[in-house]
Amino acid sequence: MSKIEEVKARLEAGKAKLVPALVQEALDEGSEAKDILQAMIDSMGVVGDQFSKGEIFVPEMLMAAKAMTKGVDVLRPLLVGDTSSSKGTCIIGTVQGDLHDIGKNLVAMMIESAGFDVVDLGVDVSPAKFIEAIKESKNVTIVGCSGLLTTTMTAMKETVQTIKASGLTGFRVIVGGAPVTQEYANEIGADGFAPDAGSAAVKAVELVKSL
Amino acid sequence: MIIIGEKINGAIPSVAKAIAVKDADFIRNLAKIQSDAGAAFIDVCASVEDSLELETMKWLIDLVQEVTDTPIAIDSPHIQTCVEAIKFCKKPGLINSVSGEGNKIEVVFPIIADTKWECVALLCDDTGIPKTAQERLKVFAEIMIKAKTYNIAPSRLHIDPLVEMLCTSEDGINMVVDVIKEIKAQYPEIHVTGGFSNISFNLPVRKMVNQAFTVLAINAGMDSAILAPTNQDLMGMIFATEALLGKDECCMEYIGAYRAKLFGQKK
Repeated sequence: MSKIEEVKARLEAGKAKLVPALVQEALDEGSEAKDILQAMIDSMGVVGDQFSKGEIFVPEMLMAAKAMTKGVDVLRPLLVGDTSSSKGTCIIGTVQGDLHDIGKNLVAMMIESAGFDVVDLGVDVSPAKFIEAIKESKNVTIVGCSGLLTTTMTAMKETVQTIKASGLTGFRVIVGGAPVTQEYANEIGADGFAPDAGSAAVKAVELVKSL
Repeated sequence: MIIIGEKINGAIPSVAKAIAVKDADFIRNLAKIQSDAGAAFIDVCASVEDSLELETMKWLIDLVQEVTDTPIAIDSPHIQTCVEAIKFCKKPGLINSVSGEGNKIEVVFPIIADTKWECVALLCDDTGIPKTAQERLKVFAEIMIKAKTYNIAPSRLHIDPLVEMLCTSEDGINMVVDVIKEIKAQYPEIHVTGGFSNISFNLPVRKMVNQAFTVLAINAGMDSAILAPTNQDLMGMIFATEALLGKDECCMEYIGAYRAKLFGQKK
């Protein structure tokens, strides 16, 4: 097994303690940082897919993401200044009136693992705060709105419509959360919807390609 | 949790029969299923008449080692048998057991001093099983003085505080819990072990008592257990309890054990 394959295997198994050393070994063997990063992103895609299919549990996805983060820490000094591997910035938050963040955090984690820089605005985020963050952040390519309560669906609608009407461009808006469906996403004018964290990352990557 | 698989014991009628008729496959199978079920040691106890004990031990240990690399726990009330059986083992295992009785410690500790062998030590002495926590801790203190003398690290010792049957106990397991906590406070690296099924002797629906005991004993600090690892209810309870106590980062041990079919799904 090549070192990069070993990194992938350990990452997919959630071995957060082993991945950084393996990443270093791969570098020592002459692999390029961006190739190792891409391999890890691919692995997280596999993990996200397994999660979507119900084949793995939340902690297993969490550990894989932890392994990814630790691996990226090793690569970071080598990737500084190289923007070719970044997919841009993702602004994410739970919409106003809703305090749930477990799902949003999982999505943020998976999106980060897919190669985005993530700005997490937390919970109870007003449309104005989303707009402000989009203006202040560099290279925003994805805006994610999360909500768990059926009663905050109207806030999600307001958020998406405010962002769309702001005149700001260069990014796609995705929505998700237990009561959200593809139909609802279409109805309120969002660009994308995903039913779970794994598919959210896939959707984000797909949408960014269409920019 | 360090699991000491208890199924190869001549005191169990089916095993006694296998020993009597030299049914090697029966023993090999017991070794294999316990190893597959997550045992860290395979306990081997002959429970035959004294004149046959050592040769029976050798026969059993050889069979276990034919099918698994899991180290042996040499289990005999005769300390000479324990010591003699060391040479049958391919790798360091566990002596089960010494105690404050007679010269057991003086026989065993010098022999395992500079090895990787581990040792179970029971908190009883020549006067029997002490009734109070204070007296058991006194036996413990004496064991530890000797451990220090022979340079046996606490991490190589499995202290059995002697859990007695619940049906005749006057305070449940409170006294033993006090003993476990004190031992762990003094030596965080030491292991505390015990039988996980003795507790329920002569009570109906024993598995209820055994499972409740598992939770409380692990909570008190027990981290080594003599049990049948093929008992999936007990194994699941152990992994669940450790996760609940924050000893299992992200529940990965719990999930891993489930994936390895140690509980919750048939092999």
